[in-house]
Amino acid sequence: MTTHIGPPSGAPDESRMEPREAARLLAQTQADARRSLDFRAPWVSLVAAAVALVGFGLVWLSVRNQHPFTGPSPASLVVFYGLIAFRIATVIYAYRRARSGISGHSVMAQRNEAVAMGVALSIWYLVLIAIASSAHHSAGFYWSLGLNGTLIALAAIWTGRCAIHRRWREAALTVPVALIAGVGAIAGPRGMWLVNGVGLCLLLLANAALEAWQRRGTPAPTVRASA
Amino acid sequence: MTAEALDPLIHVPARLQIMAALATLPAGDQLSFKRLQDMLELTPGNLITHLRKLEEAGYLATTKTGSGPASRTSIALTHDGRHALDVYATTLRGLLNGV
Repeated sequence: MTTHIGPPSGAPDESRMEPREAARLLAQTQADARRSLDFRAPWVSLVAAAVALVGFGLVWLSVRNQHPFTGPSPASLVVFYGLIAFRIATVIYAYRRARSGISGHSVMAQRNEAVAMGVALSIWYLVLIAIASSAHHSAGFYWSLGLNGTLIALAAIWTGRCAIHRRWREAALTVPVALIAGVGAIAGPRGMWLVNGVGLCLLLLANAALEAWQRRGTPAPTVRASA
Repeated sequence: MTAEALDPLIHVPARLQIMAALATLPAGDQLSFKRLQDMLELTPGNLITHLRKLEEAGYLATTKTGSGPASRTSIALTHDGRHALDVYATTLRGLLNGV
């Protein structure tokens, strides 16, 4: 990014304010800055909700009448993984847009966290492979282990991250994800796609509504300076 | 207590906005000049003037990396700057509560 710092143009505004106006400006500026620097916008959750409903729903449509269960159709899996890739791309886009121009300790810390979470997920997959290899199982077992196991692992890893940063609202979101995956495992290899799709969609819609509610309107002029 | 008790360096709309925006970053983080300008919608000249005053007071630190057209200026609140904003906010709260 290029910054051209030229001579000042015109006299800067040195006007003073009434205390109430200053309090309003302080609160408003901090609320705007937090919104601008936070990538977790409602539209990101809405995209995730649509991805969950359509992705899981298409796979469910391809397996719901299978007796015995043989696994999702290749076409539905292509769409499913394509939508997951799209979801990841939207998060990366939102993150880069919100965090552009920021440098320093937190950027490095987030990179380290991403590596640590990747390692934790890789270890979890080794455990899943070991479980799957321990004996011969049905196709339904492998699909349930892969899908519900991944969701539970992601929820557990994210809960740990939220606890470290004391983000309890986010942590409260990860517990229902694990519960939905647990119910999905009980629902079996056909029903789990529907349970996860509808469950995650509703959860993400609720999260989007909560984020929109938190971002709406002008904050009351409460005076608080610390980040 | 009167409005005179408020830090006169911060008690100016543009400088209060600069301090408030930078205070939302965690300690140790910096924001680029361009991003700060976009967030506050100030002209470059106006922003530079206010930044210089705050920097002279030790409230913020600027770092310039690169040279020529690829140069980039980053800005961060110093420890003294955070403390000054905390004191400002406390004084403001006191004024609003009629202390």
